[in-house]
Amino acid sequence: MPTSSYLKIIYSVMMLLMASSLLTGCWDRVEIDERAVVLGVSIDKAAKDEEEHESEVTHVEGSLPAPVKDMVHVAVQIALPGRIPLGPGESGGASGNPGQTLWVVDVFGHSIDDAFMNLQQQISSKLFFGHLRVIVISEEVARRGLANINDFFRRNSEVRRMAWLMVSKGNALDLMKAAPKLERIPTLYLMSTLDEGIKMGKFPKDYIGIFWSNMSKKGQEGFLPYIELKKSDNVEIKGLAYFKGEKMVGATKPLEIAGYLGLRGINPAGYRAVITIDNPPGTVITNVAHRSSKIKVRINKGIPHFTIDVMLEVNVEEVIGGESLAIDNPNILTEIEKKQNEASVKFYEDIIKKTQRKKSDIFGFGEYVRAKEPGYWKRHIGTKEQWEKRYPDATFDVHVVTKIRRIGMKAK
Amino acid sequence: MDQSRQITAMQAGAIMGSTIIGVGVLPLPLFAVRAGGSAAPLVTLIGLLVGSIGLSIIIWLGIRFPRKSIIEYSEDLIGRWPSWIGSLLIIGFFAVLTSLAAREFGEVVVTSVLKSTPVEVTVIVMLLLAAIATRNAITTFAYMHYFYFPLLLVPGLLIVALSLKNAEAINLQPIWMQHSHGVIRGVLTIAALFQGNFIMTMVIPSMIAPRKSIKAGFWGMTIGGGLYVVIVAAAVAVFGAEEIKNLLWPTLELAKATSLPANVLERLDAAFLAVWVTAVFTTLLTSYYLTIYATRQIFRLADHKMLSFFMLPFVFAMAMMPQNIVQMYDIVEQVGQIGLCITIGYPALLIMISLMRKKRGKPVADQ
Repeated sequence: MPTSSYLKIIYSVMMLLMASSLLTGCWDRVEIDERAVVLGVSIDKAAKDEEEHESEVTHVEGSLPAPVKDMVHVAVQIALPGRIPLGPGESGGASGNPGQTLWVVDVFGHSIDDAFMNLQQQISSKLFFGHLRVIVISEEVARRGLANINDFFRRNSEVRRMAWLMVSKGNALDLMKAAPKLERIPTLYLMSTLDEGIKMGKFPKDYIGIFWSNMSKKGQEGFLPYIELKKSDNVEIKGLAYFKGEKMVGATKPLEIAGYLGLRGINPAGYRAVITIDNPPGTVITNVAHRSSKIKVRINKGIPHFTIDVMLEVNVEEVIGGESLAIDNPNILTEIEKKQNEASVKFYEDIIKKTQRKKSDIFGFGEYVRAKEPGYWKRHIGTKEQWEKRYPDATFDVHVVTKIRRIGMKAK
Repeated sequence: MDQSRQITAMQAGAIMGSTIIGVGVLPLPLFAVRAGGSAAPLVTLIGLLVGSIGLSIIIWLGIRFPRKSIIEYSEDLIGRWPSWIGSLLIIGFFAVLTSLAAREFGEVVVTSVLKSTPVEVTVIVMLLLAAIATRNAITTFAYMHYFYFPLLLVPGLLIVALSLKNAEAINLQPIWMQHSHGVIRGVLTIAALFQGNFIMTMVIPSMIAPRKSIKAGFWGMTIGGGLYVVIVAAAVAVFGAEEIKNLLWPTLELAKATSLPANVLERLDAAFLAVWVTAVFTTLLTSYYLTIYATRQIFRLADHKMLSFFMLPFVFAMAMMPQNIVQMYDIVEQVGQIGLCITIGYPALLIMISLMRKKRGKPVADQ
C-alpha cells in the first residue's frame, strides 16, 4: 500500500519537526548561579576628573560619539549566590559585614544604560534586574532631573513597579556600602525601613510605579522618600523629596510627611505632635491614631478654591510639663483638642504654601480640578505646565477636627 | 437527534467569550486611553456596543438560515460570483488577523520574557499549535473553548480584583469624554477586537437550537466584553490615564504591579502571561478555524484537515511582514478598521437583501 507508507513518512517527519520545536529547550535558559542578581542600585553624579576612568563600551570616539551629558557614578549590589542565608537557623551574614552576602561594584558612565554596560563588560554573569528592590539617587542627581533614570527603568521589562526609588541626602554610594545590623542584606534593610514606615503610618505608599504615575498625571507632581545615612549605618527618613516635572525642587521636614498623610487622609496614622496649652499651662504629646480627609474644589472668581476637612482621632501619649494637668478632666481634653485644631490648620496650610512656592503640587489638588471641574480644566488649564503655573494662585480652606479618644493606662 | 447539530448554547457562549479574550487585552487600555483619557471605560463600552451590532447581524442571519454559514447563504442571496468576492475577502481578512495575532504574541513574549528566543520560533510554535487544533471537527472545537474559558476568565478577574487595592477613584473622573478628537478611531479599534465573533456564522449551523444563539451571543459578549471594560477601568484607576500613555502593554504592567496577599507571589506577571498564552491560543484557534472552514466551504471540499497545514506557510509569512513593533501596531489598527467593513458592513448588506427578497433558509425543527 504505497499511500499509507507515504503517510507514515509524512507523519514521522511532522512528529520530528514538532518534537524539535518542543525539545530544543529554551534559548533563554540561564542558571541561577550564572546570573548576577542586582538587589540595589545607587546613582551619583560623577566628579569632573573621573571621566578618564571610563572605557568605551557603548561609544567609540569618531563613529559613535558619547552623549553630551553629565557623567553618572553607578554602583550595584550583587547578591552572592549561596551566601544569602535563607532561614534564621543559618549562621553567616549576621556579623554585619555586607561583603559576605553582597558584592558592591561601582562604575562610571554617560547614562544609566552606558554605566550598566560598562559594568557588564567587567562582570562575567549576566546582570539581572528582576529582584531589584531599591534604587538610591543622590540629591544632586535628583535636582538635575530624573528623565534618563525613569526612561531606563521603565523600558526595562525586568524591573518591578514595587521597587523603591529614594533620594539620599549626600552620597548615594555610601548607602550601598552601609551594613545595618538588623538585616543580613543591607538593601532589604533600606526597603524594610520604608515598608515598616508604611505600616506604622510614617510614610505613604510611594513605590517607583506610584511615583511614575503621579509624575505623569497632569494635576499632580511626584515625590520620593528623602533619606539620610546616620552614624551607625542606620537610615533616617528625612522627609519627602518633592518634584516639579522630573526635577527635584525641595524636601520637607520629617513631621511634614504627617502633613501630607493627614491632608490625603492616609491610614494607618503614626505621627506624634507636641501640644502646649496655656490654661492651665501644660504640654502633652498626642498620638494620631486615625486620619480621614475630604477635599472639595470649587471655582471662585476663576481661581480654584479647595476646602479640606481633616478629621484626626488622637490619643494622649505623654504629659511633658505641668504635673498638675488633670487629663481626666473633660474640659482640659477639649482645650487640648482646640489647641491641636488651631495648630494643625496652621501646620497644614504652611506645607501647602511651601509646595505652592515651589510650584510642586504633590497632593494632587490639580487632579481634583481635572476630575470635578472638567469644563474649567479644559478652558483654562489643560496641560501639566499650565497647572504648575496656576497652582500657586489656588486658595485653600483647611478645617481640622480633632477628637481625643484615649489617654493610655494612666487614670489621670 | 441530528448528528451534525451538537453544540449547546453554553458552548457557543464560551466560544465567543474565549475568542474575545485574546492578544488584544494587553494593549487595550492604551487604545482606550488614547481615545478618551479618563473616559477610557466608556470608550471601551461603546466599542463593545459597536461589536455587538456586528454580532447581532450575524446571529440574525444565522437564524434566518439555520443550516448554512455566511459562505453558503451569501450565494443564495446575491448569486454565486458576487458572493465569491465577499467570501474571499472574509478568508483573506481572517488569515491576516490570525497572522497579526500570532505576531503580536511573539512580540510580547520576546520583549518581556524570552529575550533571546527568535520571534519566528514563538510565532511558528503558536501557529503550529493552532493548526494542529484546527484539524478537529467543529464540535471538538467547541469543547476546546468550553474547557479553556473558565481558565481565562478566573485569573483575569482575580488580577482586576487584587489590583483594586491600589486604585484611586479620582483617576476615573471625569467619566465623559472631554474631546471628540480620536474617539471614533479608538472606538473602532476596540470594536475590531470583537471580530472573532464572526465564528458564530460557522457555529450556528451546528447548534442544537440555533435560536438560542441570541442568548449565547448576549452572554458571550457580556462576559468577554465585560472583562474588557473591567480591565480598562482597573488599569485607569491604578495608573491614571496619563501614565497609561507611557505603557505599551498596560495590562501586563497591571499584573506586574499586583501582588497576591501575604506576599505569596510578589508579582503576577509570570502567572498572567501563562494564562494569557492560553487566551491567545483560543483566539488564534478561532480565527484560523474560520479561515480554513470558510475555504473548505467555498471550494466545496468534504474535509478541512489538509487545509490547516496548507495555509500555515502563508499565515506565517504574513506574520513576519511587519518590520518592527510600531509598524505592527499601525497595521493591527488599520486592518482592524478595514475588517469592520467585512465583518459588519458585508453582513448588514446581506441581511438587507435577505429582507428585501424575503429569502429564508430551511428551518430546523428545534424548540
